[in-house]
Amino acid sequence: MSSDTAITPPSRAGDVPPPAQGDGARSRRRVSRDDLGLLLGLPALCAVLLGGWALWRATADLDDIEARSLAWGLIVELFGEHLLLTALSAGAVILTAIPLGIALTRPAARRAAPAVVTVANFGQAAPAIGILILLAMWLGFGVPVAVLALSLYAFLPVLQNTIVGLQGVDQTLVEAARGMGMSRWSVLGRIELPLALPVIMAGVRTALVLAVGTAAFATFINAGGLGSVITTGLYLFRNSVLISGGLLIAVLALLVDWAGRVLELVATPKGMR
Amino acid sequence: MLEFVLDRAPDLAYRSFQHVSLVVQCVALATVVAVAAALLVTTVPRLKPVANFISSVGLTVPSLALLGLMLPVVGIGTLPSVAVVTFYAALPILRNAVVGLEGVSANLLESARGMGMNPLLTFLRVQLPMAWPVILAGLRVSTQMSMGVAAIAAYALGPGLGGWIFTGLAQIGGQNAVNYALTATIAIVVLALLLDLLLRLLGRFTISRGISA
Amino acid sequence: MTTTEPTPTTDAAPESVSGAEIVFDRVTKSYSSQGRPAVDSLSLTIPAGQIVMFVGPSGCGKTTSLKMINRLHEPTSGTITINGKDVRGQDPDDLRRQVGYVIQGGSLFPHMTVAQNIGLVPGLLRWDKQRIAERVEELLDLVGLDPVRYRDRFPRELSGGQQQRVGVARGLAADPPVILMDEPFGAVDPITRQRLQDELMSIQSELKKTIVCVTHDIDEAIKLGDRILILQEHAQIAQYDTPEAILSAPANEFVEDFVGSGSALKALSLTRVEEVELTEWTTATVGEPVGPVLERARAARQKSVVVLDQRRRPVDWVNIKALTGETVPAPVDEARDLHQIDHRATLNDALDTMLVSAYAGVIVTGRRDQYVGVATFEAVTALITARNEAARQAQEDADEQ
Repeated sequence: MSSDTAITPPSRAGDVPPPAQGDGARSRRRVSRDDLGLLLGLPALCAVLLGGWALWRATADLDDIEARSLAWGLIVELFGEHLLLTALSAGAVILTAIPLGIALTRPAARRAAPAVVTVANFGQAAPAIGILILLAMWLGFGVPVAVLALSLYAFLPVLQNTIVGLQGVDQTLVEAARGMGMSRWSVLGRIELPLALPVIMAGVRTALVLAVGTAAFATFINAGGLGSVITTGLYLFRNSVLISGGLLIAVLALLVDWAGRVLELVATPKGMR
Repeated sequence: MLEFVLDRAPDLAYRSFQHVSLVVQCVALATVVAVAAALLVTTVPRLKPVANFISSVGLTVPSLALLGLMLPVVGIGTLPSVAVVTFYAALPILRNAVVGLEGVSANLLESARGMGMNPLLTFLRVQLPMAWPVILAGLRVSTQMSMGVAAIAAYALGPGLGGWIFTGLAQIGGQNAVNYALTATIAIVVLALLLDLLLRLLGRFTISRGISA
Repeated sequence: MTTTEPTPTTDAAPESVSGAEIVFDRVTKSYSSQGRPAVDSLSLTIPAGQIVMFVGPSGCGKTTSLKMINRLHEPTSGTITINGKDVRGQDPDDLRRQVGYVIQGGSLFPHMTVAQNIGLVPGLLRWDKQRIAERVEELLDLVGLDPVRYRDRFPRELSGGQQQRVGVARGLAADPPVILMDEPFGAVDPITRQRLQDELMSIQSELKKTIVCVTHDIDEAIKLGDRILILQEHAQIAQYDTPEAILSAPANEFVEDFVGSGSALKALSLTRVEEVELTEWTTATVGEPVGPVLERARAARQKSVVVLDQRRRPVDWVNIKALTGETVPAPVDEARDLHQIDHRATLNDALDTMLVSAYAGVIVTGRRDQYVGVATFEAVTALITARNEAARQAQEDADEQ
């Protein structure tokens, strides 16, 4: 979501940011100064936080429990698990929500779009933690269920932005393309999707951020991730571990957000930047 | 499940009240803080990138991470709930308030001043009513988000329905585990939708008919 | 006069016609089962190689009629043929690749460069890359844009007029015999529009396509059209004839109202600048030594010279006093309005342009913007006077009979 856009309420009780709306899908997007600040500022902020933490970890005098909970190898492993959960669910969402969004903007299914979005909206209304735990009770603990829960949760923004993005494509351009003799598929692939891509990618970024945040709960259902650093810190009354966990998750989320922003920028066709 | 709910009706009612009360109070506090901050940002334009950076970064930080960072400072219980919920609630309102207040045209402000309104009066009679629809939209997003954040904050023994979700998790395999988690989740959804409805009604009555679409 | 048979036009039949004849036979389009169809049994022949303008009030069915030619709308009944072939007998995509389509504002695809936009249809027709690149160059040149400068630009880096030029080039890309235009110049300012119209006529005099063009602007129709189709509601033909005939003998009250008052003035739109006796002006080429240029100007008793580039396109019009250097300089400000018009422009346009020119005349250009001569105010007024005199004479002759 670009920085000058007001947030409108489509999402319900989420514990993470609301889905980005197409920021006036057809507005000529250029990299605003705020966006540029985030593009450059985020990695800098992350580098400082991560560097500072590593420096502290290397030099601090830790007791046995702390040292074990914050072992380098363990942290790297959890980092990797967390990223994998995020990537798998984001991938699942992209592979399902974008095709569905495309289908729902084709003339045959166009009327079904509002109904589907409403249903998806309701899904979004449930607190992520509740969905995750209920799914685990139903389907069992572990990574696949965590990925499913994360995907369900991150589905709406991509679906919604795909629909909004495609609907926002200037219909005279579509007619021009048809009038020039392009087939429906080729209009979709060469005109509609490239023009809608910035909005779709904004949805993907939101989905990534939702997934990385929700993945912190994965530890509750034995699916790994950095959330376990926090639970460990809380159970063992070690503030240093708690803070480390919070910091590492926050840094990872910011990095994922940054990657999403880069993706958005790359996805914007050159003529529209 | 009906039996389960009936058995615990008083507890359910109490937790629902706690949950809603926490969210409403935090959102109210967040609104005041965010609108004040937005007013500052619109009068000192140099602060605007800072505000946008904070709200972007803030909304990216996962709630559990923030909770982890705050617990050592504020301890467990109600206080971290209030802190975390208020923090997240403030961000969408801040962003929308900045957009809304900036949207009030300079001409209007000048004519208000020309009519002899002082800055406070200008804010209350012109800026705030004009920006209110946008602020209210932010408020709705905030409220919905806060319902979920409050559930997570219960992990640090905060008040409200989130406690039942974690009770369910802790008793997993037990006969009431699903009942606890499911009842709490559904109750949060229902309450969130109710609050949203109320806010929409509030909008109906408080947005000047001259500017509502 | 609601005949659909083409009456002979005043224009001599063009020698080489690359266009195709389009025939509407009782074409009907209804959007709902009730009420009268939007297009009710339209029959019409569009001769090959001519520009036919569809005009009429909004909602008269002119755009629908146009879009039925390339099947963006499907007729409910009746047939449309291009060169005798029923359009409904062909695959719509194949059909559309053979019919150029130009719409308001150019409707360029913003994520594609100018070259990609123009090369799209040739690409769909599987031309090889080399041929497409050559075609793009040729077309950019044809619409007066320097290929090297504009080829790789994106639409938003172009002015409205330039975008529209690219839109025309895109419509011409695969060299289709038929070009459909939907309000092609509706989105640009009046001066740019006039220039684009002139260019279109230049291009048409070279290519002789069949052009069907929808407009709501009767002046544009009079200026561009070889024939004008004036439609009433439900696409009923009010009149289908040459601009001259419509101006001098409107078929009914509807046409009279639609054409509006000032027919005499509108007749100025019927006379082309090429009919004016042009003055030979002193010219100079950029980079040429100043000495001989000044001599030529003095010999011709002219105080200014028209500066041309290497391809004989006018780039500047300077007072001889300003020629102080060794050689004739290139203009400092490229974007400056030169007060030049195309030889197919109307007297109306010429007079408009003269009002803002510093030299009581306008530079007239011919094919591909090349310099032809200068139309002076005296020459234009002389032509008008002669025409009026002839018209008065004809009227008197008619009255006597």
